Amino acid sequence: MDALIASAGPIKPKRQKPVPRKALHKTVDRGPDKEAIDPSTHSILSSTRLPSSFHHSSLPTGSSEAQIRPEASIARIGDKKLRAKVARNDVSVKRAQVERDEVNEWLNAPLAGGAGGIEVDEEEGERTWKVRQDEIVREVGVASAAKKFDLKLEGMGSYKVDYTRNGRHLAIASSRGHVATFDWQAGRLHSEIQLRETVRDIKFLHSEAFYAVAQKKYVFIYDQDGVEIHKLKQHIDVTNLEFLPYHYLLVSIGHAGYIKYHDTSIGTLLTQIPTHLGSPSSFAQNPHSAIIHAGHSNGTMTLWSPNLTTPHVKLLAHRGPVTSIAVDPSEASAGRYVATSGMDGIVKIWDGRMWGKEVRSWLVRNTPTCLSYSGRGMLAVGGKGGVTTYRDLYSDSDKSPSSYLTLPLPGLSASGSQFCPFDDVLAVGHEKGISSLLVPGSGEPNFDSAEADVFETYSRRREREVRGVLEKVRPELITMDTDFLGRVKEVKGGETYAEREARSYRQLGRLERLRADGKADEDQGGPAGVVDGADQDDEAEEGGEEREEKRKKKMRGKGGSMKRYLKKKNKRNVVDESLLAMKAKVAKQRQNEEIKRKVASGEVVRESGALARFG
Amino acid sequence: MKINMISRSLDDHLPSSSTAPHPLQRNLAPHLHPFAKPREYTRALTAAKMERMFAKPFVDALGGHQDGVYCLGTDPRRVAIVAGGGGDGEVIVHSLALRRPIMKIPQAHKGMVGGLCWTAEARDGKRGLVTCGKLDGTVKVWRSEAFAPGLRDKEAFEGNEFGSGEGSSSQAILDTAGAVGENGYDFDEEEGGGLAIDTGRRDQLGKNLEPSMTYTSKNGFNGIDHHRNDPVFATASNTVQIWDETRSNPLSTLQFGNSLETVSGVKFNQSETSVLASIGGDRTLCLYDIRTGKAERRIVMQFRSNCLSWCPTLPTTLLLGSEDHNLYTFDIRDLKSPTQIYKGHVGGVMGCDWSPTGEELVSGSYDRTIRLWNRDSGKSRDVYHTKRMQRVFDVTYTPTADFVLSASDDGNVRIWKSNASSKLGPVSTKERQAIEYRQKLVERWASTKDVRAVKDRRHVPASVHNTVKLKREMIEASKVKEDRRRKHSRAGKEKPKAERKKAVIAEQL
Repeated sequence: MDALIASAGPIKPKRQKPVPRKALHKTVDRGPDKEAIDPSTHSILSSTRLPSSFHHSSLPTGSSEAQIRPEASIARIGDKKLRAKVARNDVSVKRAQVERDEVNEWLNAPLAGGAGGIEVDEEEGERTWKVRQDEIVREVGVASAAKKFDLKLEGMGSYKVDYTRNGRHLAIASSRGHVATFDWQAGRLHSEIQLRETVRDIKFLHSEAFYAVAQKKYVFIYDQDGVEIHKLKQHIDVTNLEFLPYHYLLVSIGHAGYIKYHDTSIGTLLTQIPTHLGSPSSFAQNPHSAIIHAGHSNGTMTLWSPNLTTPHVKLLAHRGPVTSIAVDPSEASAGRYVATSGMDGIVKIWDGRMWGKEVRSWLVRNTPTCLSYSGRGMLAVGGKGGVTTYRDLYSDSDKSPSSYLTLPLPGLSASGSQFCPFDDVLAVGHEKGISSLLVPGSGEPNFDSAEADVFETYSRRREREVRGVLEKVRPELITMDTDFLGRVKEVKGGETYAEREARSYRQLGRLERLRADGKADEDQGGPAGVVDGADQDDEAEEGGEEREEKRKKKMRGKGGSMKRYLKKKNKRNVVDESLLAMKAKVAKQRQNEEIKRKVASGEVVRESGALARFG
Repeated sequence: MKINMISRSLDDHLPSSSTAPHPLQRNLAPHLHPFAKPREYTRALTAAKMERMFAKPFVDALGGHQDGVYCLGTDPRRVAIVAGGGGDGEVIVHSLALRRPIMKIPQAHKGMVGGLCWTAEARDGKRGLVTCGKLDGTVKVWRSEAFAPGLRDKEAFEGNEFGSGEGSSSQAILDTAGAVGENGYDFDEEEGGGLAIDTGRRDQLGKNLEPSMTYTSKNGFNGIDHHRNDPVFATASNTVQIWDETRSNPLSTLQFGNSLETVSGVKFNQSETSVLASIGGDRTLCLYDIRTGKAERRIVMQFRSNCLSWCPTLPTTLLLGSEDHNLYTFDIRDLKSPTQIYKGHVGGVMGCDWSPTGEELVSGSYDRTIRLWNRDSGKSRDVYHTKRMQRVFDVTYTPTADFVLSASDDGNVRIWKSNASSKLGPVSTKERQAIEYRQKLVERWASTKDVRAVKDRRHVPASVHNTVKLKREMIEASKVKEDRRRKHSRAGKEKPKAERKKAVIAEQL
């Protein structure tokens, strides 16, 4: 018994700092306030750790880096177990960040194929915006040069374009009903259909296997071979389409100004929200928050989610219709910066954290009709006569930015443009077909095969589809603040109804307890408990409103039925004969009483002679 | 002028052969992974749902008892053997692997069996089972080859003086040999055959089996436990008695002072093997050391305890299952208050056991449920019940910690998975990784409402559900009353007492 207690040692004394002792083995440091762990004596550690060979300090690059420490504010957490848990989590997040950066630097970057770009000799008078497409084609390799092509499709109306998320496939749709999808890198046509009616927009769904087309009256969904598989009758006169790939929501807006969210994984209409602003002039989604941006003909831009019937944000962006909206998906912005263009010829950049004033605005020569952002934050402004591209837009300069590349389309006006994801290519749709133009340095070179694989095979696509549906994000989680989920709610004053209800009876305050018992005296107004018996009858008849009025100069025993009757009469405010008679009677009575009082007090001496009868 | 464009080599991005895996490229930059948090949350919710979907804890019921089963004894040295003692004095040795009895001793005792345990060794290739009777006041040691057929591998024991019980080699063989159900040995006919024995012959064998040793006493025995490696066992009657397997009289009798109250259970410590603890009808927990032959210390609690168990990994930690529906762990270095209270049952706790890792515990209760607990949290991790299971009187973990066994009033020994949603059978590396990832996800998002609701929700029988409500109301009422009393007494006179301090009334040395 004693041997057991002796060998077990004493219970660790509370709040006593351990004496540092020389360890025989290499120890695992757990911070200054904790005893270091000897791995040889603790075969099972309380928390799993990275092997020491993988520790940041033992990597060739990380020797000089400081040790990762949890955030100082965590020390304020009172609960010991919780504090340790939160601190551990914080450290592991930070460590993951460091390791991620290292993996990116050492493994991913060399594999990516290198970012593109144009280097010019400024002193020689070379400028990037002077570089023409044929010069680029001459300079770059054969494989890259093949990415520059034009499809001449005259007499079909102006074209809209859409790339899949991995940038491998391209869908085009002309306003007169020519629709085609193809693998543009391999040059393989998937489908080509002549719809012979107005087509206003085209969008790929979650993969190249399905695409939605906004036609004259309804929206139709076609499969890879161009076979019509769905007619969405709920979407009427649709002008613009968007697809939210992580939520499986097809969003449309039509001439009537209704934004409709359609769940394509289960085929039901989720919600429809009237904008009350008529036919839209432009439409875009924020790929990082799934917020829908709609531009209207009165110059306003509104931001929508399926969870609100009113816009999250409504701002006057332009004097004149908003012709186009684009959201920057690049690393620097991550969905924060939004570009809009208006019929007034101005392009504006907005910051999603502060909508009060635009970050930058400049006038372009031809009215801009289509905007598009590339993966590295390059903006293409298309209009009559061609497309101009810009970069480095967020420096706080008042000057209009100098263009990066100009891509002239003589005699044509761009009706739709999109940068190819993960490639240095811009597709522009116009009246004579589409043009695929080279914009070196626009694309993100380093893709992630788990998200969007440029070289996706059939089997991997199938796998991605299944996983995608399993991980379908609920539409309720669409919020302006993307960091909202999983954060600790800050307590702001009082508790909610639900919290109050959840508390046990014992935890309630006195008044709440009485209320729960039904014994609470809710009469907060005048002094309670002085209502006399006669008046209680009164109140029972008259209802609760009577309580507010104060009855002054009450004298016990002088009430009587007549007074009560009068009060009641007065309330109704109807003067009739009986009331007048009653009032006269009362007046008489009062007078008599007055005289009696005066006589009694000696103010008046009553005549006692024969003339007394004349008063 | 120099112009570069993205150009990717197909050699890097296409599989090198038709059977090679598709090459993957990762870019962990957050801007390429939008909705990371909502997606992970969705995965966590799915994981929590999947866990509940796969939660099928009940494996099998081992029948054969004519009356209720009131005590269980797992063989600590072999994975798949358990003996159950019935209310009519019948003892059945079950094989979990075969899921059928391998030995039935119909009249082991007259009246109820008080307790069961296995000896530390085997003698002459025969494994020993020690049973005690609650009413007839006898302890019997049964030895048979049928308890551990694997021990008859004669080649392994050729020339070895097996049976002394001292050599480490004998124990080593015992650990590996008795693995019933793997490949049953078809041994000698006269001893009753191997595992393929038919039920008639088996029953005959059990009927004819005579105890190799019988000890008698005036008092009935309520509990028994064997020393970890010596041929010594302890019994609980109105005192604690220590017996040697070879002697007919007790080695010593242990009692605290002159107390002759009923002792309802006794357990040896697994690490410091001479230390033992007992619980008694006088609401006490008493600690003894058989080397000094003295009762060391004793605590009196608010309610009596029904069961006790020493933690196999933390030698100073002791678990008590109490009549007040709670379980308590004590650190025997400080018996003033329990280290943790485990609340959840709505009936007295009749049986409790630690998992072999000492991280988890299991308890069975008079409310017809079994609850599983993590050592560090006072709320149960899971609750098991079936319609046909009656009052649970004993529970144990199997030595591999995969299963939990329960003995109940309805005459069945039930096998439950210790982790309700775990898969039985081999699990591939990929599958295991997926399972581990799901577990981590659930753990990480467990603080969010939806995930927690799915994770923590358990269906309990209506009777338990109603009792939980009733109990909560009663506790609330008593606390309100306490609050009121405090409010109306002089300030500081009636201080609130911590729940842990309430459990122990007095400590006696």
